[in-house]
Amino acid sequence: MMNNKTWALTKVLIKNGEGLSFKLNTKKAWILFIAIIGITIPSLLFGYIKFIELIYHSLATINQQGVILSWGLAINSIMIFIFGMFYIISSFYFSGDIENFLPLPIKPKQIVGAKFLVTVLYEYLISAFIFLPILIYYGIYESAGLLYYIYGLIVFALIPILPIAFGALIVMLIMRFTNFSRYRELFKIIGGVIAMFVGIGLNFAFQSFAAKLDQNTIGELLELGNNSLSVVTSRMFPTVRWAAQALLDYKIANGLTNLLIFCGLSAGIYIVLLYFSELVYFKGVVGLSESSARSVVLDEDLGKLLKKNSVIKSYTLNELRILFRTPIYFLNCVLINIIWPLFIILPLLITPDDPTQGDLSMLLELLREPKAIGMIIGITLAAITFIGGSNGITATAISREGKELHIKKHIPVSYRHQITAKVLAGIVLSYIGVVILILIMIFLYKLPWYLGLLLLVIGILPTILTSFTGILLDLYNPKLDWDSEQKAVKQNINVLYNILISTAAAALIGVITYVFKSSAVLTIISIIVLISLLDLLLYYLVYTKGTVRFKELEG
Amino acid sequence: MLLRLEVIIVIYLENVSKTYSGGVKANDQISLTIPSGRIFGFLGPNGAGKTTMIKLITGILAVDSGRIEVNGIDIAKQPLAAKKQIGYVPDTPNMFLRLKGIEYLNFMADVYDVSLDERQVRIADLCRRFEMTKVLKNPIQSYSQGMRQKIVIIGVLLHQPSVWILDEPMTGLDPHSSYVLKEMMREHVNNNNTVFFSTHVLDVAEKICDEIAIINKGKILFTGDMAEMREHFRKNESLEKFFLELTHDEQ
Repeated sequence: MMNNKTWALTKVLIKNGEGLSFKLNTKKAWILFIAIIGITIPSLLFGYIKFIELIYHSLATINQQGVILSWGLAINSIMIFIFGMFYIISSFYFSGDIENFLPLPIKPKQIVGAKFLVTVLYEYLISAFIFLPILIYYGIYESAGLLYYIYGLIVFALIPILPIAFGALIVMLIMRFTNFSRYRELFKIIGGVIAMFVGIGLNFAFQSFAAKLDQNTIGELLELGNNSLSVVTSRMFPTVRWAAQALLDYKIANGLTNLLIFCGLSAGIYIVLLYFSELVYFKGVVGLSESSARSVVLDEDLGKLLKKNSVIKSYTLNELRILFRTPIYFLNCVLINIIWPLFIILPLLITPDDPTQGDLSMLLELLREPKAIGMIIGITLAAITFIGGSNGITATAISREGKELHIKKHIPVSYRHQITAKVLAGIVLSYIGVVILILIMIFLYKLPWYLGLLLLVIGILPTILTSFTGILLDLYNPKLDWDSEQKAVKQNINVLYNILISTAAAALIGVITYVFKSSAVLTIISIIVLISLLDLLLYYLVYTKGTVRFKELEG
Repeated sequence: MLLRLEVIIVIYLENVSKTYSGGVKANDQISLTIPSGRIFGFLGPNGAGKTTMIKLITGILAVDSGRIEVNGIDIAKQPLAAKKQIGYVPDTPNMFLRLKGIEYLNFMADVYDVSLDERQVRIADLCRRFEMTKVLKNPIQSYSQGMRQKIVIIGVLLHQPSVWILDEPMTGLDPHSSYVLKEMMREHVNNNNTVFFSTHVLDVAEKICDEIAIINKGKILFTGDMAEMREHFRKNESLEKFFLELTHDEQ
């Protein structure tokens, strides 16, 4: 199934900068890398391990600690699925290299196979963060033998296959049918959005199905003890179940059987994907970059098209136009802002028939408790910080200029103004995400409107924070040498840096919320003071060091 | 024909050096004065340092040492004022591809602070001359190479800069547009303005320029008019080979 051409192509893709090829060739890049990774990762990991510890020991009291493995694997799979979806749409359909492959004697399954493998490699990062600590923690506390770790390694290697293949199948199917009309690019974007929702929707549907199915059996399984609950939690992605069982029973033959089933299924899914790609992939790709006939401007109409704006407004609008019109940028910078807030709708869609029953109604009740105000504000602001940091708008604002950066250096616009325009584009789009999130909270979760209003006002602070950190990162470490837009945003380490920094900031907000949980006023004031101070500090850095740095960049 | 306009020094370079981070000297101790009312050609083979020089004059790169003035304004000291004097056409016109032609022109007009009335007149005039009006509402991405070149030229001329700097401007232009551009360059210098352009094709330089400078390996080998250049080449045998290379490049 893995022939030489697929393998050769995979190597070419990796060497050509798809996947994780972060070049740290300057001293500055190394310092940045060490500083950010060295500070954020250990502190995030520390918090995460504390969390694992808590879950593990609570589960251990009911002799169900093994469930943590299947939970870990399931959450891992969902994260891989969501990030993988973005990656697949970008890499399979919008990356410039496809044009170069089409004339070569390569089969669709070889391109898909290679791009799939690169995606799997990329998603190992997620597994390393989410699953690996659980695997190791469990192994240590259960005094597991060598075989456990060998099984663990195999599971780690194969776990991304199902979620990515599942995502790829949905994407390919939808792209096959949206590849028409002269507005091809627009339809592709819409196709990408539909694919995202179908995928995530299906995912949640499976979960709710599994949840309903098991309402009655959970009680019985609980009584059985001995990790029997893990059967339930791993229904989200079917292969998770065998993977978890293999790890739980590694000492006995059942473990090996489960491992073999898991490996076999993963391989099977990969083969199905390849055969499917033969049927639909090229039909979805061919003609992607064709442009179409447009409207004609008559001399007398010219006046109506002219419009004068201030330099900053004009520049900001340009940034926004480019973000919206470049499919790769749209998916990774714009859409992601809207996708995150929409996630919180999904639980509503899958609740049991009577909405007054179950966990959700408890949550709704909680939202209206006065005691919960501080927590609601804290958690929402933490979420806004995370969402703002993950969109990569400012973290790729300089990188996106690529080889055309020189244009921005010869126009008579000060670097200060240019940075302002780029930051504004980031704030505007991040804030749209904030507005959507809060509207959903008000209208669907019955959040009191005054809290919504308060959040709308304070919510601007974290979007400024993450926009400033992003632009600073990208000014210091821009990725200008790229040949496809995909590389400017998807393979840009600054996006990862900004996600890490914003996650750390979100965690800090979480800690404050927890520390001051007795007083909502104190929580809110502390958070506002903290973020405002950070904003001011960053403002200073951006407009002193940042502008100097922009000047030094050689386009 | 003997109308004499006052000749002003428009572009002034004094001992300009630029070394790239790899240690490659792109420009080495270059001094150059370019007067007004001339089409000044910058001739040299590919990789001679022409583009680097243009990037230094337009403020895209900073000099390591030396001084550059445009219309008497030091580009290092007053970058924005100096940049406003210049209309610069880069060698690759693949920029702002996701914007529509008209959006790009509005952006450039905003950036160079061109009033609405002025842009009305100039966009209409330039687009008519380059036959670009019809396609203004289409994305630049859908333009051919030549059309992209033309929209960029229109964009940088909207603010009526006194100094035009064009990097290999004839590449990719169709014969008609190339003719229009040459005509416009001539008109521009007739109004006592300056055109500075680079080319690696001797033939282009010969046909258009009033004066040329020849650059190779970051050093200026010659400055003067066409007749002086031929004379210079005849006397200097080592340059003759170089001259042949440039001639050869035409093919």
